[in-house]
Amino acid sequence: MSAPGAVEPMYQEQVMEFPYKHSTGETVGRFLAGLKEQQTIWGHRVAGQGVVVPPMGYSEIDGRGGGEWVAVKDTGVITAAAIVHHPIARLHPFEQPFAFVLVRLDGADTALAHVVRDDLGKVKVGARVQADWKPDGERVGSVRDIAAFRVVG
Amino acid sequence: MQEPPKEPVKYVEANVYLPYRYIAGDYRARAMHGLKEKKFIGSKDSKTGKVFVTPLVNSPESFAPCTEFVALEGRGVVTTFCIVNIPVIGRDLQLPYVAASVALDGADISIFAAIQECAVADVRMGMRVEAVWKPDGERTGSFDDVLYFRPTGEPDAKPETYLNRL
Repeated sequence: MSAPGAVEPMYQEQVMEFPYKHSTGETVGRFLAGLKEQQTIWGHRVAGQGVVVPPMGYSEIDGRGGGEWVAVKDTGVITAAAIVHHPIARLHPFEQPFAFVLVRLDGADTALAHVVRDDLGKVKVGARVQADWKPDGERVGSVRDIAAFRVVG
Repeated sequence: MQEPPKEPVKYVEANVYLPYRYIAGDYRARAMHGLKEKKFIGSKDSKTGKVFVTPLVNSPESFAPCTEFVALEGRGVVTTFCIVNIPVIGRDLQLPYVAASVALDGADISIFAAIQECAVADVRMGMRVEAVWKPDGERTGSFDDVLYFRPTGEPDAKPETYLNRL
């Protein structure tokens, strides 16, 4: 064969997939069990941070473990939002436009990362939201047992 | 209700999904097109004359450019191998199978290949093998065009003929 010249370009669509099984541990594990079995969002009152949701089992301020379990409301306020106008298949959780939001739930001092799917025009910092729960029997012990947050009022 | 359930959820499953477009580039594209024609394309070190397959743009040994291509038939010798007993995701070969290093005739380095059509216990260093290709019309210019390698039945190659091509 001869020296290099032009060659028809060649490409391939490829996918890299990493299936993960995260061990949740005692604290997050009970938080998730609360979503599934009680339809309740639990936080942890820890030194220096108030009520942390989701709970981590220790204080980020002084590293101390433990804390008191506190049930917080499933209503709250958006503290940050990013609207995804063009979701990418399988990379994002939905195919229709949605918003990633941080929600500070009533009774909590930190914000939970979640999504809003409807009324994206009303998504803004300060907007009040309420959790849309998956029905009994469909909750599996995942943060997605809360199907989404809905803007209210 | 003072506490969350005593029994924690043990784990959550998640899947990281990364779609991307692999662009072969000049030399690799030639190698892929070659597979469609049942050829392994190598490139020749312009200084030492060594043949690298799949083709390299520059020699990692002499740093000289590899400016000439060579087309190799899918025949060669098993230089080293291992028996695989653990399934690999995305590879549906029946276990156990042999993953081998095959030095193609005319090449100075080896490629990886699965050896089939013989018992795993019969695979040995120096065994002559040949590529089994996908049928005409089904080859797309992909490494999947080579189904596997199988023994040719020729006498084994002597170690000195492949010692430097491991």
